[in-house]
Formats: sequence, C-alpha cells, structure tokens
Amino acid sequence: MFNSDVLIRAAIALAIILGSLGIYLLYNWTLQFRTRSLFADLDPKRTGAFTLVYFTTPTCILCKTVQRPAIQKLSQMLGNALQVVEIDAAERPELADRWGVMSVPTTFLFDPSGRLRHVNHGVTRAEKLLIQIHGGK
Amino acid sequence: MTTQTQHLQKVDHNALKANQLTIIALNLLAFIFNLPFLAAIVAVVMGLGSLLKVPGFLPLYRYFYKPAGLLKPDVLDDNPEPHRFAQFLGFIFMTGGSVSLYLGASPLGWGLVWLVIVLAALNAFGGFCVGCAVYYWLARLNVPGFSKTPPAGFFPGMKPKARA
Repeated sequence: MFNSDVLIRAAIALAIILGSLGIYLLYNWTLQFRTRSLFADLDPKRTGAFTLVYFTTPTCILCKTVQRPAIQKLSQMLGNALQVVEIDAAERPELADRWGVMSVPTTFLFDPSGRLRHVNHGVTRAEKLLIQIHGGK
Repeated sequence: MTTQTQHLQKVDHNALKANQLTIIALNLLAFIFNLPFLAAIVAVVMGLGSLLKVPGFLPLYRYFYKPAGLLKPDVLDDNPEPHRFAQFLGFIFMTGGSVSLYLGASPLGWGLVWLVIVLAALNAFGGFCVGCAVYYWLARLNVPGFSKTPPAGFFPGMKPKARA
C-alpha cells in the first residue's frame, strides 16, 4: 500500500505537529503557572468571587468604546460575584510585562479559587465573558 | 504596545483562514508523498493571489468551504495590506522551497515548505500573522511602501477582535 518512505515522512510530519502542539501547551501551562503566582499579589481581593484582571491604556479606543462597557454590563449582571481589577498598562508597563500582556485590552479571568480560567487577547464581549464564567470555552 | 487610530477596512479573516488551511493541507501532502510539484502549485497559487491582491485559494473558500458550512464569514476591521504582504512572503519561501527541491536540495526545500506550514498554522490556529508583524516593523522603520499601523490596541500581527 504505502511504501516505507511515505510512512517515515508521515511520522516526521506527525512528530513536528505533536512537537508544536506540545510547545503551545507548555506555553499555556507556563502562563497559567505564572499568573497564579501573580494573582496572589493582587489587592484588594474579594473571596468567593470571580476576578477579571483587565489591562487597558488611556489611549485605547476599543477599551473605551467596547471593552469597558462590556465589563460594566457584566458587573451589573453578576454583582458581588465578580470583582474587576483594572490595570493601566501605560502607567504600569512592568506589570503588563510580568503578566505577558502584548496588546490592550487583555483580560484574565480567575475563578473564586484563584485559578486562571481564560486569557482573552483583544476585545471580549460580555456574552463571551459570561460563557467563560459559566464554564464554557 | 500600539494604540494609534487609523482608517481600517473590512477583512474577512475566514477567507484568509481558508487560504492558510489549504496551504497547510497541500504542503503536508506534498511532504508526506514527496510531491515537489504540489509544493510548486501552492507557490504559483500564492503568487497569483499576491498579484491579484486576494488570498490565493479564495475560490476554494467561495465555492467549497463556505457552501459546505465549514467556514462562515468573519469580517473584522483590519488592514488588508499586511495580509497581502504575508502571502507574498509565503510565495517567496514556497518558490525558494520548490526551486531547491527541483535542484535536489531536499533538506533546504522541505525546510522552507515546513516554514510556510508552521507560519500558516500559527496564523490559522494562533491568530498571529508573522508576515503582518514583519510588515508593521517595516512600516515603523519608514520603509517606502509600508505605511499602515496595527489596529488600535493590538500587538503587530495579532488578529483584531472588533467586528465590522
């Protein structure tokens, strides 16, 4: 059916694909591990609530027009079940670097136990954040 | 961090994704079955796409991916120029790879083909366009012909999220 050359090439392709997937998973795991320790430094903290760490800058138009209203809508819907920690990345670039923030807005969603649930690079609508809070992707 | 505002156009990112997925699939088949001509076809299609300023495999998106319901339009506010440049870069790598394969330099040839596969996969699955990032760096260096800046709030090359 297939000669050995094809099988060897298929195996090489599979190894490269799996290797790439491994690197991606390792990156995500590193991000989870790093933000878990960074989350512990955040202040103030409300126990039993989800935490949304929101990185923005004063000149980010999308943050003002889309992301902030989405977070405000979410806060109104969830009340005390959600605390929002807003960080000005322009004012605190060292913090943005430590959190691995490359663009604004970026949001990190932590569950009440402090475990990172999702990292959203770019604008994320209230509906999507709500789905993430309720355990979806 | 980039926060500049500018006039953006409507870009269907799933047309780009269909292009990338097809490039990945054909290049993988070319590598596995040792078919340099297939890699050369990919290079030619990418070259034609660059010439016509559209994703090379756009007809496949229109007449296969969309009708089959595999991909739906994902129109975002973005600059089309960096994506065209990214395809052109891919065309250069694919041409280099194909020529190397025909000249018998298999490791170099397949290496370049794999480079295109990895970059296309990073774009299709990770939302990061390396060619676009290169375009924005060149624009930052004021290289003639490279004038666009990334959509406000986005790292150069990252897929924007604001729907048009």
